[in-house]
Amino acid sequence: MNDYSKEAQKALASPRLQASLHTLQDRFGKGAMALWANMEDQEMRRRVKKSRLKNLEHLDILLAELARNVRARGGKVYFAETAQDAIDYTLKVARDNKVKRVVKGKSMISMEIGIDPALEEDGIEVVETDLGEYIIQLAGDKPSHIIAPCIHMDRKQIGQLFAEKLGMDYTDDPPTLTMAARKELREKLLSADMGLTGCNLACAETGHISLVSNEGNIRMATTMPPVHVALMGMERIVATLEEHRETVQLLTRGAALQKLSTYVSFTGGPSSADDPDGPKEFHLVIIDNGRAKILADPEFREVLACIRCGACLNICPVYGRIGGHAYNSSYCGPIGAVITPLLDGINKHADLCKGETLCGACKDICPVQIDLPRMLAALRQKLAYASDRWDTRQHNPAEAYGFTIWRLIITRKPLYRSLLKIGRLFQRVFIKKNNMISSMAGIASGWTDGRDLPPIAKKTFTELWEEKYRNRQAAAAPETEENQ
Amino acid sequence: MDHNQAFFLGNIRTALGEAPHSERVKSMFPKLFASPDTTEIRQKIAGRTVAEQDELVEIFLKNGNSLNICSHIVASSDAAAAVVVELIRSKEPEFNHTKHVIGHDHPDIAALQLWKRFNREAVTVHTAFNSDRQVQEKTIASFIGITAPTIGVADSATLIQLTEPGRPRSTSLLPSIHIAIMRREHIVADLQEAYTLLRGRAHLDSLVFISGPSKTADIEAHMVHGAHGPREVHLIILAEPSAAGSDAATTEAA
Repeated sequence: MNDYSKEAQKALASPRLQASLHTLQDRFGKGAMALWANMEDQEMRRRVKKSRLKNLEHLDILLAELARNVRARGGKVYFAETAQDAIDYTLKVARDNKVKRVVKGKSMISMEIGIDPALEEDGIEVVETDLGEYIIQLAGDKPSHIIAPCIHMDRKQIGQLFAEKLGMDYTDDPPTLTMAARKELREKLLSADMGLTGCNLACAETGHISLVSNEGNIRMATTMPPVHVALMGMERIVATLEEHRETVQLLTRGAALQKLSTYVSFTGGPSSADDPDGPKEFHLVIIDNGRAKILADPEFREVLACIRCGACLNICPVYGRIGGHAYNSSYCGPIGAVITPLLDGINKHADLCKGETLCGACKDICPVQIDLPRMLAALRQKLAYASDRWDTRQHNPAEAYGFTIWRLIITRKPLYRSLLKIGRLFQRVFIKKNNMISSMAGIASGWTDGRDLPPIAKKTFTELWEEKYRNRQAAAAPETEENQ
Repeated sequence: MDHNQAFFLGNIRTALGEAPHSERVKSMFPKLFASPDTTEIRQKIAGRTVAEQDELVEIFLKNGNSLNICSHIVASSDAAAAVVVELIRSKEPEFNHTKHVIGHDHPDIAALQLWKRFNREAVTVHTAFNSDRQVQEKTIASFIGITAPTIGVADSATLIQLTEPGRPRSTSLLPSIHIAIMRREHIVADLQEAYTLLRGRAHLDSLVFISGPSKTADIEAHMVHGAHGPREVHLIILAEPSAAGSDAATTEAA
């Protein structure tokens, strides 16, 4: 069994995770849908989507403008084509500044490019400062939700973890645990040499990056250490403050139903010489790492309009059962099922797009109405027929043969009907007491291992229709005559 | 422009079906950076009557309340000082045992004359003067930080704090309790108005929107205040009876 199925089964077998996923989706998924339905300005989402797509079409101009404005304030801007380029640059900044400790503000792209191990190999201590991420780091685990990274752990586990790692008395009281982390992390934040963050949205015309947080860890990480390095996916940019205003509100609403997160901080360069705090060096690392390839494909460009709020996780029936770990990626849920294969290889992550249901809920809840189901289907198409552009090989040649045969059968009515009749006879031995087929042999077992299959009906729809229609026609005939 | 940047942006142009080596300049795309005309919004803010401002205060209070912002409306600097003094007296330090307080270098905070009010008590009041090299240590030692944000936003209960000389960002971040003093006329209706005022301040290297105390719900979705930033936010709205300078928000922020 592959990792996806294994992790999914693990998640399904955990009542704790199932309960938290249910609570999460019940509150944030339903909440976001209600928010969109009741929003005064019903055009806002369409407007922001339009501006996101327009900005993608002019991305080179926007990034040049952003870089120009940041540099004008004395900030450094580095364009990193690959993950390795971004890592190398960040390491160089760390070495130049003799950095011993890095504090991180929650950043998905830092996980995407795998910067933590690279820093640690260099002998640098890396501390996650978002409470959920910190817990994950202490546990040596992986995050399982974009905004609630440790949703798969309960307070007892966290209490035990803190007792073990922080040397405190065991408690499962969330406020006490939070205060313990607050004290511990305050020390780290005040003594760190470098702050490492992502970027939620950059604004080209003013030359700022902006970051949202509720805890204040990102403000800390961008205020106290003498060096701030911000990693930014190249698509996370708006042209104007006006666009920023609308986009950031959709982000915080989609993420946690908030009009605004507790903090929205704007940084556009190092702090001035007479400022007692704020970084003396500011580095903005703009990262491609496969995004230009997505941009080049009209079929998938739309996915770069994503603002990473995580709303699609909060409604997806698949994520809602299997949780984040099965996706085995920095990005999970429906957005992960599209963006991970595109960034890291469609064949490598084939299970992700095949695992989603195409129900369309992710499109409905997306603040910028990204058509994820369409792209999931397009990814499956690449797997079914192979694609040179995406370097995919046919995922399952036997499947293709199967469908060729199926096409031959279903387009020949007499053959199809006679095979159906044979099937009806043949299936009798498999039908169990509950009138379901619960086990089949060979390759067919894939259909029945995890569920029961209803047997082929006694009559086909066409047969039923013909019977009914014949009767109705007979009944309707006199009426027709009268009318004439 | 360095080589990296040229290559990187060339890749993007290729992806967009443009010629990779011919740079596209923004002057060729005037619509891209076009912003709506804000004259009307500015006039609306400038022309607000006291009664309308009081309405905005009401909305701010209501929204702030649900975000756990404790609000106090006062009619004079003296009354504001009384609120601050009471908070300093009644609250206990979180990270040490001495009562240090730090405030921004701002006329509305200076007007509180806090240094005069703790003659016989062990309370030390600092101001984050621009010339003071010890501001950061003093901020770390303080359990209360006092700021005077430039703009308040009623709709989202947001305080907009600009980083300027004498007004460092850590004052509203490191102390356990953040007290914000704001004149009634600095409160605007919504983010659209606030962003309009911010346009003129876009050269700043740092600014922050604050909507309530620091919070987290990472452990079993249980809401806890005071994750990293202040665990309490108090807003003192200074509504002086003679509301002269109703356009103060515009002049201050424009």
